Amino acid sequence: MTILSTSNLKKIYGAGENKVHALDGVDLKVAKGEFVAVVGTSGSGKSTLLHMLGGLDRPTAGTVTVDGKDIFALKDEELTIFRRRKIGFVFQNYNLVPVLNVYENILLPIQLDGNEPDGKYVEQIIDMLGLSSKLQNLPNNLSGGQQQRVAIARALAAKPAIILADEPTGNLDSKTSQDVLSLLKVSSQRFAQTIVMITHNEEIAQLADRIIRIEDGKIIGNGGGKNEGSK
Amino acid sequence: MITEKIALVVFIIGILCLAGAGFIAFFDYYYRKRSLKRMYDMIKAAMDGTFQAHNFDESLYAAVENKLAEYIDAAETTAGKTAKEKEQIETLIADISHQTKTPLSNILLYTELLKERAGSEENRENIELLENQAEKLNFLIQSLIKMSRLETGILVLNPRKSSVAELLEEAERQYRNKAREKGLYLHVLSEDARDVTACFDKKWTLEALGNLIDNAIKYTQAGGVTVRVRPYGLFVCIEVADTGSGIAEEEHARIFGRFYRSPQVSDQTGVGIGLYLAREILQQQSGYMKLTSETGKGAVFSMYLPV
Repeated sequence: MTILSTSNLKKIYGAGENKVHALDGVDLKVAKGEFVAVVGTSGSGKSTLLHMLGGLDRPTAGTVTVDGKDIFALKDEELTIFRRRKIGFVFQNYNLVPVLNVYENILLPIQLDGNEPDGKYVEQIIDMLGLSSKLQNLPNNLSGGQQQRVAIARALAAKPAIILADEPTGNLDSKTSQDVLSLLKVSSQRFAQTIVMITHNEEIAQLADRIIRIEDGKIIGNGGGKNEGSK
Repeated sequence: MITEKIALVVFIIGILCLAGAGFIAFFDYYYRKRSLKRMYDMIKAAMDGTFQAHNFDESLYAAVENKLAEYIDAAETTAGKTAKEKEQIETLIADISHQTKTPLSNILLYTELLKERAGSEENRENIELLENQAEKLNFLIQSLIKMSRLETGILVLNPRKSSVAELLEEAERQYRNKAREKGLYLHVLSEDARDVTACFDKKWTLEALGNLIDNAIKYTQAGGVTVRVRPYGLFVCIEVADTGSGIAEEEHARIFGRFYRSPQVSDQTGVGIGLYLAREILQQQSGYMKLTSETGKGAVFSMYLPV
């Protein structure tokens, strides 16, 4: 089942002679539960692609469909709510709220939506990410790796259709990176969570079920596909 | 005088109308909010499994409640059916594993007896072929049973905090001879893992690691296999590196699939189940597997176990 797809996605910046094709006709399909890495050098258009997938920026042409919904057919306000309910973000610089403690940060997206959190599920996530003893801490008392784990917990807690991760280990040392990536991988397996991760690092990308290479706004490699045996 | 009175009456009527409209609007708002709240509570109760229909009157609300009860009932029936089907699969697997054991071991036994008094060279060759095939069948059935037990959740792993060094040493004991027979080295750097512990099921993790080492030996012609440990904060990584022919990137995702065999190795014995089984075992204990390889540069399979 396809949970995320784009069709002929284009983003052009500037006009006339200064035109830059940041994305030049991207067709992409991601199946439910798949862990996909998008690899490219800086300036290849990978961040632009992630912004489009997450509805953070509008394309010049083409569509993005998340969970059966063409997201750019939505009004701005609807898109904001759709994003909150269906898409989890994990950024390079964590983006935690500094005045809220770890537990409040994790529950924030659910509570913004006026819902009661699924206590058991949230507890499972906290336990798996090894955050049980840190729940009352404020983010700036945590190490980078711990902060990123909180960000992953926050993204998972709302049970989004997809998680978009933008260089999730960009600010971490290599040892901590390995832990954070491992947790991302295990979460994707355990909760059948669809994850699209952007990275410039080939080694990190190896972790994914499938690697998509992007260059000059075009997809050039689309290896493997979902392996048959995985669930 | 009279006009004043009429004006006053009209004014009062106007005020009353406004108050009435206001009251109706408020009531409507309140009523709608209450209905939605009741629906929300109903669905929430259904999700928690505590839902019960309370109202049996002619109202629309009672009808909605009734329909939901019907829906939940149907869903429960389906769940019951699925549980029963799973039970049937369990029985089937148990039957197959139990009923094939005796005939298979008899075939192996009598083949061995035959071999001892084979007589002519031609007979001996045939009997050896027979023996190979019987052993392969035995291995295949054992693997299939393990696989379906893991997949259907009949088999539950018991991860416990255990020593990684002990795991490596046991694996080395099992595969030392196999590597030596093929003229390969098997370096297991268990010294590095002296104080490293991780959370894993000993028996099954050994099986997964064994499959990786077995594969590495099988697909390496010269050089050998190195097993090393890398501890991280929350995970421990066990790497099995070989100096074999490597695996092309297009195959990385497929190689963990069941019964997948790379075209490069299609002339070798094997059924293509080892890696699939190993990955299932890792996943069941909240770990995962990773492959790094390029054609011609050997392959590194990494097992990540949670601490």
